Amino acid sequence: MKISLKTLKYYVDINVSVEELCDKMTLAGFEIESIEKQGENLRNVVVGKILKIEKHQDSDHLQICRIDVGKGESVQIVTGAQNISEGDFVPTALDDSYLPNGAHIVAGKLRGVDSFGMLCSGEELCLTEADYEGASVYGIMILHGDNLQPGTDMREVLGLDDYIIDFKITANRPDCNCFIGVAKEISVVLGTEFKQPIPTYKTVGENIKDYIDVNVLNYDLCPRYIGRIVKNLRIKPSPDWMQKSITASGMRPINNIVDITNFVMLETGQPMHAFNYDDLSGKKIIVRNAKEGESITTLDGNEYKLNSDMLVIADGEKPSCLAGIMGGKESEIEDDTKNLFLESAKFKRDNIRHTGRALGIRTEASGRFEKGIDIINTEYAMNRALQLISDLDAGDIVEGVLDLNEGLPKNRILTVKSADISALLGVEIPESEMVKILNKLELKTTANDGVLTVSVPSIRDDVEGRADLAEEVMRIYGYDHIVGTPMRGDVVRGTKLPERIKTDKIKSLLCGMGAYEIATYSFISSGALDTLNLSENDERRNAIKLLNPLGDEYSVLRTQLTTSMLSVLATNINRKIEDGRFFEISKRFIPKQMPLTEQPYELPTMSIGIYGKDEDFFTLKGIVEEIMKLCGAHTQYERSCEAYLHPGRQALVKANNVEACVLGEVHPDVLANYGIEQRVYVAEIKLDILLGINKRKSVFKPLPKFPAVERDFAFLCDKDITVGTLEQAITKGAGRLLERIELFDIYEGSQIPEGKKSVAYSVYLRSADATLTDEQIDTATKNIIEKLEKVGAELRK
Amino acid sequence: MKEKLEAIKNAAKEAVSAAFDEKEIEELRVKYLGKKGELTAILKQMGSLSPEERPKMGQMVNEAKAQLEELIGKKAKELKNAATELKLKAETIDITMPAKVKKVGKLHPLNTVLNDMIDIFQSMGFDVLDGPEVETDHYNFECLNVPADHPARDMQDTFYLGTNLLLRTQTSAAQIRTMETRKPPIRVICPGRVFRADEVDATHSPVFHQIEGLVVDKGITMCDLKGVLEQFAREIYGPDTKVKFRPSFFPFTEPSVEVDVTCSECGGKGCRVCKGSGWIEILGAGMVHPNVLKSCGIDPDVYSGFAFGIGLDRLTTTRYKISDIRLLFENDKRFLDQF
Repeated sequence: MKISLKTLKYYVDINVSVEELCDKMTLAGFEIESIEKQGENLRNVVVGKILKIEKHQDSDHLQICRIDVGKGESVQIVTGAQNISEGDFVPTALDDSYLPNGAHIVAGKLRGVDSFGMLCSGEELCLTEADYEGASVYGIMILHGDNLQPGTDMREVLGLDDYIIDFKITANRPDCNCFIGVAKEISVVLGTEFKQPIPTYKTVGENIKDYIDVNVLNYDLCPRYIGRIVKNLRIKPSPDWMQKSITASGMRPINNIVDITNFVMLETGQPMHAFNYDDLSGKKIIVRNAKEGESITTLDGNEYKLNSDMLVIADGEKPSCLAGIMGGKESEIEDDTKNLFLESAKFKRDNIRHTGRALGIRTEASGRFEKGIDIINTEYAMNRALQLISDLDAGDIVEGVLDLNEGLPKNRILTVKSADISALLGVEIPESEMVKILNKLELKTTANDGVLTVSVPSIRDDVEGRADLAEEVMRIYGYDHIVGTPMRGDVVRGTKLPERIKTDKIKSLLCGMGAYEIATYSFISSGALDTLNLSENDERRNAIKLLNPLGDEYSVLRTQLTTSMLSVLATNINRKIEDGRFFEISKRFIPKQMPLTEQPYELPTMSIGIYGKDEDFFTLKGIVEEIMKLCGAHTQYERSCEAYLHPGRQALVKANNVEACVLGEVHPDVLANYGIEQRVYVAEIKLDILLGINKRKSVFKPLPKFPAVERDFAFLCDKDITVGTLEQAITKGAGRLLERIELFDIYEGSQIPEGKKSVAYSVYLRSADATLTDEQIDTATKNIIEKLEKVGAELRK
Repeated sequence: MKEKLEAIKNAAKEAVSAAFDEKEIEELRVKYLGKKGELTAILKQMGSLSPEERPKMGQMVNEAKAQLEELIGKKAKELKNAATELKLKAETIDITMPAKVKKVGKLHPLNTVLNDMIDIFQSMGFDVLDGPEVETDHYNFECLNVPADHPARDMQDTFYLGTNLLLRTQTSAAQIRTMETRKPPIRVICPGRVFRADEVDATHSPVFHQIEGLVVDKGITMCDLKGVLEQFAREIYGPDTKVKFRPSFFPFTEPSVEVDVTCSECGGKGCRVCKGSGWIEILGAGMVHPNVLKSCGIDPDVYSGFAFGIGLDRLTTTRYKISDIRLLFENDKRFLDQF
């Protein structure tokens, strides 16, 4: 809410500087968004008197002027304007001056003649006719008035000596979206007097009932509707003070009637609406829901189709105003309007909000109705408007008021122990102080036997109980009275969920293996899954869509993390970063059903992405294996067939027989979708599976006392037999004595028959109880060879 | 014979002192002291001496042997030391050459900061919980004292997924779930990801992170809130950090405050970072609204509590002076490596 300081001073004495006022208001709960000193962008521009005008020798339109700028010696300024005469007073921008349009004026030469500044047009000063008569003239703005003195700062001439303060009004204080609300708070904060305007006005007799008939058909959406008639309108510009006040608050002056309605809204917070009485068909006002298919053309010239949820103010025939949002074009106040029907009403806030949203309109008025206005204040605002009409001689007020409502609320009575307020705050505030503060805030309070009885007017319906009263007291008493006390209670260290502890360990492991943790958005574009070349019926396509996304790019909750990972890899590769290991732990969102009717599964998921000259499938496999080991998973590798991975270089990993991970080299077609021109490797791990594994506690095993025996074997087998198969065979053959096996060579080529390969292993055997005998070793060797033969591998001789 | 011994001794002494390396000295040892060495040869010739001369000569030979042994031993040691020295000298390296490191990665800066926060609050007895990111209208708004027609709904532009289902706009939703499942005393923080329909720019992101704190017990006061936040601020920003409350409004707390800390950059004198005010706004907090306690089945006449919500992203960007929040989600390795 922007309000000028001068406006505020009309309602309250302000005996401190603007800065101090703003600091104090901030500490009372009114944050200051900005303080604007008017004319700050108009510097070093003064009143100049034209002493002499000469033609420029080398130009047929330039003129050379001598200007008295009140500094003794006159200055020479060259201008192209033709509407000036000697003796005129003109706005003169001196050397090194600034104009509101951002221009910086310095001395220079025009066609070889020195010019020490510039004479200004109204446009250059960003002024309109409303700001200064003659501002819209083509050419220099000629100043008028009796007391013009060369050298006077133009800001003084234009009356730009005010401050405009933008108060941030929190959602619980809609009553402060107006001059009076803010001024009241200032009076409490500064301890100065608040001067509430007391509306008085004269009527010209007659009876409103002879003019108009008002009906409210939906009191739920319109709990109060007040109407008055003003006749014999005298439309003219509103006075300067009112125009300035409105302009400072961001509205545009139009004419006295419209300005009065806007001013009263800014002053009291109550939006008003003025109808051209003579345009109201049937001399009727009906507050009702719109009929399906009805439409209205509003003041801004747009036509809107209405539905029956929307409230309108209709005349005898048709909607004349979109209730609380915008008036109709047809009943607009114009310069020749004779008679006026004036409305001050309360509309239900969510209805205004829904209608505004549905039609895409938001106005100063609708904003206020949405936030909530006071039903009692509706009457005060109407009287204030009539007072201004009367005072400004804008029309004649007809006797009588039509005030339709179903009863007005009484003050809410709260009883609270003063000790309870102190207890909640932890600060002993004297009861008398509480009473004083609450009364100043117009919350009528008496204290009796330690109990406060507070009468809360409807305008402060945010005050519901003890906590609210505590806040009201505290923000005035001062939050600096709150002194921190250290945490009390049982001394315990907080706990973490087991999932978090495990996840943290996995993260440490990954960092230790040189991987960087990344963070990406939880939503992806609707086309992201296509980049993985997933089939039409892939279950990951069953993703939850945002109903109101910021754009397609962020429109779908992800069911996998790989697309985000690929984007990050692409970013890094594009930036010529040679290699990288990255991981992310986040959630995949799996709907329980579609359309969505309950919260989806949110499953912890990990993605890993690596690239660079030292990376391949097996370095990634190494990372995955370490994670599996950390989680205590027993793993099995199987060939998988993910469309986004290289068909020959991908694997499914089962952890304790449950599918837990897919890893592999990314398919070149998918890489192309990301503009990546090198091999990258990704893994996606269902962490929910791994976190669910109960890892066995480590138990100490004695270190071996007896030596191990190493035996090397080389086998010949078909090329497509996997080493996994061979290792299983060796493991089975070696039995209990096996300590470990180590693959040390795979060879194809000369001396090896076509379609075959040679695979060589070191096998380490050891017994915990004794040194192995030759017999034991021979038996194990024989068994190993036998088992290998069974899978089609033959010992090379 | 005596002369011969002298001659051998002298020749040996000369040869030893002239010896060039360990190999040569070893050869000399063999030549003079070995089984077939010259001194041994003299001993063998002792038979030709008279019985009177024999012990004398024997003693002389043994003395000469001992002398030579010592000499050779000393020389051998000298030569070995010299050789070692030479070898080590030759192995001198340029210690300014790059280190060989097994590169380690880093946690994302958001999580580095989060872990610090978790430590601080855990040490104050707060349990660390999680909550769902897809929330119901009930938990995200209604239980938090934001009924359907409340203007506070406009404060947070919400992403909707379906009727009554949305991406949580605040971790405060986790407050409710906590209070429903735990009985006071409650002391928890719920860190997590939250979502608001904010267009992406240098200071806004539709995805960001909060840490919600909640304490409910008998006799909890606003001074307790300040105490906890002071402790937190001192650990994050330094021991001299001061905390200031400014009244504000959140639907789920009453009284509500914005919490400022003295600017860690200028110590409160005013600088560019704090825009001259000396204070930096770090979080919103307040006493849990009685309606919120009631909606969770906790009697506000018996219990009171406080809650606070810290913006992790802002805390991270201010700590590391990161100029643009988008960098956090871009994941350039050179960026991630800095923290």
